Amino acid sequence: MAKGFGILAAAALTLAAVLPAQADKLDDIIASGTLRCAVVLDFPPMGSRDANNEPIGFDVDYCNDLAKALGVKAEVVETPFPDRIPALVSGRVDVGVASTSDTLERAKTAGFTIPYFAFKMVVLTKDGLGIKDYDSLKGKKTGSVSGTFEALALEKDVKAWGTGSFRGYQTQADVFLALSQGQIEATVVTSTVAAAIVKEGKYKGLMMGGDAPYDIDYVALIALRNEQGLLNYLNLFVNQQVRTGRYKALYDKWIGLGEAPDLTVPGVYR
Amino acid sequence: MNYTFHWLPAFRALPEMLWGALVTLEIAVLSMVLGVLFAVLLAVGASSQYRIFRAAAVSWVELARNTPALFQIYMAYFGLGSLGIHLDSFVALLAGITFNNAGYLAETFRGGLRAVPQTQVRAARSLGMGQIQAFRLVVMPQMFRIVFYPLTNQMVWAILMTSLGVIVGLNNDLTGVTQEYNVRSFRTFEYFALAAVIYYLLAKFVTVSARLMAWRLFRY
Amino acid sequence: MFSSLFETSFSANDLMFMLKGAGVTLMLTFWAVLGGTLLGVVFGVIRAISPWWVNAPLGAVLDVFRSIPLLIQLVVANSFKTIVGIHWSPFTVGCVVLALYMSAYCTEIVRSGFLAVPTTTRRAARSLGLSWRQDLTEIVFPIALRVALPSWIGLTLGVMKDTAMVWWIGVVELLRSSQVIVTRIQEPLFVLSIAGLIYFLMSFPIARLGARLEKRWREND
Repeated sequence: MAKGFGILAAAALTLAAVLPAQADKLDDIIASGTLRCAVVLDFPPMGSRDANNEPIGFDVDYCNDLAKALGVKAEVVETPFPDRIPALVSGRVDVGVASTSDTLERAKTAGFTIPYFAFKMVVLTKDGLGIKDYDSLKGKKTGSVSGTFEALALEKDVKAWGTGSFRGYQTQADVFLALSQGQIEATVVTSTVAAAIVKEGKYKGLMMGGDAPYDIDYVALIALRNEQGLLNYLNLFVNQQVRTGRYKALYDKWIGLGEAPDLTVPGVYR
Repeated sequence: MNYTFHWLPAFRALPEMLWGALVTLEIAVLSMVLGVLFAVLLAVGASSQYRIFRAAAVSWVELARNTPALFQIYMAYFGLGSLGIHLDSFVALLAGITFNNAGYLAETFRGGLRAVPQTQVRAARSLGMGQIQAFRLVVMPQMFRIVFYPLTNQMVWAILMTSLGVIVGLNNDLTGVTQEYNVRSFRTFEYFALAAVIYYLLAKFVTVSARLMAWRLFRY
Repeated sequence: MFSSLFETSFSANDLMFMLKGAGVTLMLTFWAVLGGTLLGVVFGVIRAISPWWVNAPLGAVLDVFRSIPLLIQLVVANSFKTIVGIHWSPFTVGCVVLALYMSAYCTEIVRSGFLAVPTTTRRAARSLGLSWRQDLTEIVFPIALRVALPSWIGLTLGVMKDTAMVWWIGVVELLRSSQVIVTRIQEPLFVLSIAGLIYFLMSFPIARLGARLEKRWREND
């Protein structure tokens, strides 16, 4: 019971006490000597695991670069897609390097930097289903990862078509699993991931089914909304990655096909 | 405290969440009906004279009772899926919970059967009742009284277990709807606290109606 | 279709990874059962001997933990601790929520064990000259233990299985670690079967022991 009262008392005290001005998150990271990054690890080539179940990928390297710039050790915390912002808000991680699309709805809760990568969306399907382009998804069983940029767009279109179905899964791996097992017939994913998955050949019979007519999906680093100091640092870091050519080097290392995507939108600042 | 609650959007989601609660209740009820049917078969099978029925019944019961419900549901969806058996999310969740319910209820029924002394059956038979008649008129009413509360508990359990459907892509039950709102806005506390209240009311609804039913059924 | 069972890319490394996950499952279970049992004994005795105006509110509060899905409890607790600014790891949150959850059930087990001791037995003990404390430790406790232990074992196993839900708030335990491997090697049935086997091996022997105890003690009644 002492424990129970302890928790209650702690909660009550925290609620009641006027907290002293907190040290800035940027200071905290430097002082603690560790940078904890949220990374999605079922999303190759951005994040995955090698044969020893150690994290690898573009986002993992990006986190390591950031830690090096800050002069601290990097710690990769695996977070499935729907868990990225909860992990950030609940203080489990300091920064999200997790291909997070910068939607206005999310910006109400989390703070976004300038884009550090940009995705194009393609249809991923299985051969023999007759899906050649986005329009032939009409009436099919589709699915994607709950709450992601592409899931929101696809679900909206499925609703508008009024036929077919949409399922939201909690991890990207579950979507590929469902697709390869035939639980769903198609999904929409980023072109980089689709290319990596088809090339890997782990899932038999998966193939690309043409581009999805969505806007370019700009993804940004995320930090707590009120940590302006940290967000400012992250913005400069993203800028420096491009300026120093590190962005291109990472792109060539992990994706390799064609040019690294342009991270600016013509005709507007930022 | 650095957090400002956004309750308004959560309350706006309330009607859709209540529809979700209806789906939750539907799955729970279906899984109980099916669970009871399978549990009776299992209880009969466990005391069968054929070894194969006994083995099947015992493995079902032990597997259901010794692995997590979450595991059972995940297996029903992705495990069976890799054998080419495609269950819809709704069906996979229903199958998982039914499997679990049946395992636990089979034990309950066995206990209930054992609690009615054999001497009563013999007495009933010597009064001229047939075997089925003796079971229906003597054993069943007493057994039902014994298993009624465990049944109610299992029903509450079934409601709580439906929350796991979100893992296999179910998005129209209470947890599924809540999670859809959550991933869109990441106001986790507000949406899930509201869901918690609805689950509590659902569970209370079940226990209170069971109590009323028991009061009508079991008074002398 | 079953060929994948024989030519698998599941390695010894992966098995170690899963056993590490199983270790986390056992640690979660240990802390949850320890905390849940201590709280449960205290609350259970209070519920058994206190007047209704203590008993009823306490019962109502504990009932909340039994009426809300554990998954929802974990998510709500995890986001609440952030809001009030407590810095706990997901593992700690998991332990605390599971302990409270277990205490709610344990309270009822302890209470019914306590109430299962007939008042006449206790009066007899007192009239034989045993003190109130002796009555509790020598008479009530052993009898209540016999009534309560089998259910307590069942509850412990239930909590062990419920730890699987803690992956939702970011703890890599047995089920989550098997998902990680499924993601890499794409053999869901095989990997999940191993996970199921590990759960079974952790749970079944104890379940059997509980059943045996229950049977033996019933014979002595």
